Amino acid sequence: MRILVKLSTTLRDCVPGYDAEAGLSLDMPEGTSVRELARHIHVPPEEIKIVMINGRQSEGSDTLRDGDRVALFPAVGGG
Amino acid sequence: MTLSMTLTPEAGPRPPDELLAFIFACLAERGLSSDGLRPPDATHPLFVERDVLAARARQQNCSLRQVMDDCLSRHIWPERFRRNYGLFSVKAMRRLLGARVLLAGCGGLGGHLAGLLARLGIGAFVLCDPDSFTESNLNRQAFCTERTLGLPKAEVAAQAVRDMAGHAEVVPHTLAVTADNLPALLDGVDVALDCLDSVADKTLLENACLRAGVPFVHGGVLRHEGMVFRNVPGPAGLPASAPDAQPDAGLRRLYPQGQSQAELDAARGAGVSVLSVAGIACLMAGQCLRILLGEAAPGLGRLYHLDSGLPELESFAW
Repeated sequence: MRILVKLSTTLRDCVPGYDAEAGLSLDMPEGTSVRELARHIHVPPEEIKIVMINGRQSEGSDTLRDGDRVALFPAVGGG
Repeated sequence: MTLSMTLTPEAGPRPPDELLAFIFACLAERGLSSDGLRPPDATHPLFVERDVLAARARQQNCSLRQVMDDCLSRHIWPERFRRNYGLFSVKAMRRLLGARVLLAGCGGLGGHLAGLLARLGIGAFVLCDPDSFTESNLNRQAFCTERTLGLPKAEVAAQAVRDMAGHAEVVPHTLAVTADNLPALLDGVDVALDCLDSVADKTLLENACLRAGVPFVHGGVLRHEGMVFRNVPGPAGLPASAPDAQPDAGLRRLYPQGQSQAELDAARGAGVSVLSVAGIACLMAGQCLRILLGEAAPGLGRLYHLDSGLPELESFAW
């Protein structure tokens, strides 16, 4: 299945050459969870604070489907 | 000339022509003719400069803000709001002028917000920040200049607001927000703006707002990005005995694990762009306006994410 991954701020450092505009387009096995996807691209799951799947807040344990757009964020807590 | 106009519902007991007569007399003193000036109405407002308004405040022995409100109720707009005309109705402009906001944090977001809200016409500010400006603030904090290094952020922001809007009531506090002082700080506040720099403090503020029934606007920044949401309590607010982990608290939903000390230390040393700070401050000000003007439904609004580097603005559902 095809998944589009968008990474925010410090999480981008985990993926050398990450293109912020395009995001990452990945082929993943059916039934992959957000957490498994994160490990696959070497983003430590513990650094992910917010998960959005198709514009809706989700969990790291949630299973992805073909065509999903996943946005991953660390804490964005500065003032 | 003969002056006559219809009293607006908000006009109060004083005959409206007395105010206009005063204004025209002031213009005459300055050598300006009022010939051709007509009594203002909604489509033909009169714009009056601040020295005339100040003279009226002295004559009436009241605050400049009161005079501005009185004038607005009669379609006499302070000249400073000439370019707000067309953006806001008289009713909206009066609402902004009568509003009080709490800026919790006067550094990056708080500094930019203070300026934006003062220029929009917000009439009263409570400014809170325990820190003083340091050199590393120069890259992004609106009121940090080489001249203000070492000075308390709340005091500097207060002076900047006074310089922009002498009619505004400004109360600076050089202190950190705490569970103990928040109830007093939120007293009489219409909107609280979260410009704090830790998830723990942000959560503390949101929970205090929910308990006090005060609308809350969150802002957070990191690198070129930032997030914003609003949380508007229902009319009755929540009982004071409600536990901290409110089911309707946005920050608890975003960060259920909170932020460890190591994460906080890393975040406080991380790069933050003035573009994300200024951009998020604009989005927060927009949310604040919607709340003040009664355009924000109770509950959690959408979560907005801005990437000022691309740029890209997304909105998410909870």
